[in-house]
Amino acid sequence: MLVSLKNVSQYVSLEGLTPEDIANKLTFAGVEVEEIVKLASGTNLVIGEVKECVAHPNSDHLHVLKVDLGPKYGVTQIVCGAPNARAGLKVIVARVGAKLPQIEIKDGVIRGEASHGMCCSLLELGVDAKYLSDYQKAGIEELPSDAPVGEEDVLGYLGLDDVVLNLSVLANRPDLLSIFNVAREIGALYNRKVTLPKVELKEDFKTKLVVGSATNRCSQFSAKEIRGIVTKASPKWMSEYLMAMGVRSINNIVDIGNYVMLMTGQPLHMYDADKLAEAKLTAQDDYEGDFVALDEKTYKVIKGDIVIACKNKPMCLGGVMGSLACAVDENTKNIYIESASFDGASIRHTSNRLGLSSESSQRFVKGTNHFQSEYVLNYAAKLINELCDAKENSNNIVYQGEEHKEKIIKSSVKRINDRLGTEFKESEIVDVLTRLNFEVKDTKDGFEVKVPDYRLDVTCDADLSEEVIRLLGLEHVKSILPCLDTKVGMLSLKQQRLKNIRHYLLSQGLDECLTYSLVSKKKQNDFNLLHNEEHYVILNPLTDEREVFRTHILASLLGAASYNVARQNKNLALFETSNMISKQSRSEHLAIVLVGQDIRQGQLVKENYNFFHMKGLVEGLFTILGIEPTRYRFERFVDANHELHPGKAANIIFQNKKIGVLGELHPNQIDKYDLGKTNAVVLEMDVEALLDAKVSETKMSPISKFPSVSRDLAFVLDANIAAGDIVRAVKKVGGSYVINCEVFDIYQGANIAEGKKSMAISVTYRKDDATLTEKEVSDAEEKIKFELSRNFKAEIRS
Amino acid sequence: MENEKLLNLKNAALKEIGDANSVDSLNAVRNTYLSKKSELSSLTSQIGQLPPEERKSFGAALTEVRVAITTAIEEKMTYLKNKELEEKLAKEQIDISLPGISYEPGGRDPFYVIQDEMIEIFLGMGFEVADGPEVEKDLYNFELLNIPKDHPARDMQDTFYINDNELLRTHTSPVQARTMEAKKGAPIRIICPGKTYRRDDDDATHSHQFAQIEGLVIDKGINIGHLKATLELFAKKMFGEKREIRLRSSYFPFTEPSVEVDINCANCGGKGCNMCKGTGYIEILGAGMVHPNVLKMNGYDPEEYSGFAFGVGIDRMAVLRYGIDDIRKLYTNDVRFLKQFKKMS
Repeated sequence: MLVSLKNVSQYVSLEGLTPEDIANKLTFAGVEVEEIVKLASGTNLVIGEVKECVAHPNSDHLHVLKVDLGPKYGVTQIVCGAPNARAGLKVIVARVGAKLPQIEIKDGVIRGEASHGMCCSLLELGVDAKYLSDYQKAGIEELPSDAPVGEEDVLGYLGLDDVVLNLSVLANRPDLLSIFNVAREIGALYNRKVTLPKVELKEDFKTKLVVGSATNRCSQFSAKEIRGIVTKASPKWMSEYLMAMGVRSINNIVDIGNYVMLMTGQPLHMYDADKLAEAKLTAQDDYEGDFVALDEKTYKVIKGDIVIACKNKPMCLGGVMGSLACAVDENTKNIYIESASFDGASIRHTSNRLGLSSESSQRFVKGTNHFQSEYVLNYAAKLINELCDAKENSNNIVYQGEEHKEKIIKSSVKRINDRLGTEFKESEIVDVLTRLNFEVKDTKDGFEVKVPDYRLDVTCDADLSEEVIRLLGLEHVKSILPCLDTKVGMLSLKQQRLKNIRHYLLSQGLDECLTYSLVSKKKQNDFNLLHNEEHYVILNPLTDEREVFRTHILASLLGAASYNVARQNKNLALFETSNMISKQSRSEHLAIVLVGQDIRQGQLVKENYNFFHMKGLVEGLFTILGIEPTRYRFERFVDANHELHPGKAANIIFQNKKIGVLGELHPNQIDKYDLGKTNAVVLEMDVEALLDAKVSETKMSPISKFPSVSRDLAFVLDANIAAGDIVRAVKKVGGSYVINCEVFDIYQGANIAEGKKSMAISVTYRKDDATLTEKEVSDAEEKIKFELSRNFKAEIRS
Repeated sequence: MENEKLLNLKNAALKEIGDANSVDSLNAVRNTYLSKKSELSSLTSQIGQLPPEERKSFGAALTEVRVAITTAIEEKMTYLKNKELEEKLAKEQIDISLPGISYEPGGRDPFYVIQDEMIEIFLGMGFEVADGPEVEKDLYNFELLNIPKDHPARDMQDTFYINDNELLRTHTSPVQARTMEAKKGAPIRIICPGKTYRRDDDDATHSHQFAQIEGLVIDKGINIGHLKATLELFAKKMFGEKREIRLRSSYFPFTEPSVEVDINCANCGGKGCNMCKGTGYIEILGAGMVHPNVLKMNGYDPEEYSGFAFGVGIDRMAVLRYGIDDIRKLYTNDVRFLKQFKKMS
């Protein structure tokens, strides 16, 4: 909302206040001033008349002017490059020493000719180019022939000596979309008297017009008829004012409509009375069909849109746009002015659907004062009488669909202070409320406040406390730490475990990433590793890159990897945890991407990341959560979609459910993500079950005092038998003496038959309560050999 | 004569020991002089052939020579072994200027640094951490927060919709409503960190995805003074003890009164500079007293309970604290950026 201070000062004195003071005061009271704009600026300006204009002897486009600056400064010589410079022109002269927005004027000699000042265009005084014609922009400003030569208040003469505040009006204060209410606000803030125009109008005739509403979406409909208007250009003050407000001046009638809306906050609509089929206008919301609007375009009106109809034909799309059929034009003689109250939600739907948002529709959407129409109509009529040579005014006709109820709020000094944590006196509180035009009446247990009609936002005593504090100042609030029950502030077990997972991975050197939750359909479909849950799709996405709420992190994290690889960051260890949500469930996920060489290495020894790096991270993760290796297992991952390397990938099974997948990325995916000639190992894991897992307390187990014995065993067996199965079998048959079994060599190739492999294991034996005898070890070893031969068809070599 | 022979033998041995310059050559000397086939051994075996009166003194002389040679060899052996070890070690010299094998921790997106730190601050004040879904019901995101359908405040927050009733939460405030629902009228002291979404085009200062930490305290007798003190403590912990806060009146549909909280600019200390656009203050969060309607709708009697709520942008805190010039950097994951944030606090 743009507010001209010159305009506001007609209604409340701003004497002694700088624009900065006012902006600051408003901002702290909750009415943020985004910008303070000077329409134009410049010092040492004077109006001059060009007495003589000759071509500059040393230039093909410059002129040498003799300019009369009036009796005080006399005639001076100025070199000027403007194409429209000519003798007899009245011009704006910036004298030597003048400070303009962009430059400072100095005495000078231009190509041999002395120049004691500059003739200015409005552009050079800082006027926004959008308000200027191309002719104005190309040359110096041409003042009217009656401009007073020697006048030094040039900005005042031009009506450009104004400062405009740009208010950011928040949704609770639609009343401030009115200059009158801004004046009231400033009056309340500074405790100054506010005088708004009094409008008394002679009623010349009774109108035949009948207005009404067939819908509760139009709760109030008032109108007035005015006869004998003349449509023409607005006077200078009006067009200048609208320019300062960022509104284009059209003609006197349109301009008055806009002007009254800016002043009162009430949008108006004008009908050409002679173009209506009958003198009856009805608001209704059940019209369906085409509507040809003022902009000569045809819009589809549907049920629910508010139209003002005459003989069931829409004459106006209420609050949004008028029809071409009854538009005011240069031949219009008699008009009806409409001042109505429309339901904001309906206007919002209609204007959003048709893409017709305007200053008017915005005011209805945000909320208008339903009880000021007669004042507004009279105010508009008065201006029309003055500026449109109108002859006769009718009475006001009013349809009022809702009762005017006074808004009374009960409160007390104590209630207000309790909410604010302040100790304001009753007199202070009453004073503030009175300044804001709230009528305060004492009652037995406090006071009653009558809220002015325009303050739509004030409905309960919490609102009153806000009025008090924003006027008296939030600096009165004392800082008091709340005295609450002592509680141990700590994370829940689940939150702590997630934090532990993150910190474990960080300590392993992995970088913690943050990627967007919204992804493209394509990226979402790149991986389907975990579950077949349905993802959410955004109804109104900004781009198809951000259309789907992802159900896995992996594609996003690979995107980050791809970004880095393209920037020569080739060795990567990245992870991210994020909450995934699908139509079926919500759970915490972890994804890891390892690319290139192990970052945990020296400069001279390098190793590419492989499956086992990732597996080790997963095992470590279970360890720090206290989940024993016996509680989870890895199963071969069967890949139908070319997501992972078919031979180098595994499912993670926990509590008999697949909770994660890890593996080396399929070469096709490496290409798809532009990872170059590299290897990548990835993990996607739903860690929810881990965060919830029951874990037993750690109890110390005694360390055996007796020595252990290690025996190696080598054998040949089918190549497809998994080492893990061998180790599990050894531990099982070896009995309690076997405390460890490790595979230390696997060999396939020369001397080993096709389809076979040689495996060597080291088995460690120990007894907890005595030293093992040679026989005990040998017996256990025999059992192991027997098991390997029988169940794994192993051929023992040693 | 025999003694003279012994003396020569000893001198010859000592000379050879002195000359030996490796463990191998010293072992050869030992073999020559002390083995069973050595002259010393043969002299020893000849003792019996000497006249009895000479045997004793000759035996003593023999022993003396053997001890002398043995001792000399041992000493020389120790010396040589040490020398050879030193020579071997000297050859093993490494280039200590090469970097260490990496045990560096990973870098963190500063988003997490800030989020973790803010959580710590509020945990220290006895807050619990609550959470809620990012795909949220209209009911919790808007309606129960005093933003009914068609409320103009909905236009303040451009929303990604899933359907008429579901949307991506535009703020973490729905967790207020969810927590009140869960606590069924009992006092509340929670924060809720989480991702939020608005239908904004991404640029240097806007992001369609961002994150907030919501705070909510409900109890008997809570007023704005409590809000101010709590946020003052937070601001000082987050941005340093010298930071002061100030409150400005503002508007949020779910709080009344509503305030914006500014801190004095760390860069200029409040004098006004580029960072604070000349105002001396930087806006850090929005807050207010929970609106009586919100309390009522969520099962709390506003005559009995009052509360305050606040919402802090995590991204915004990160941008301010680290001087990040483009919010998109938080979501790009360039490892050269991430690795700048390794310091543990």
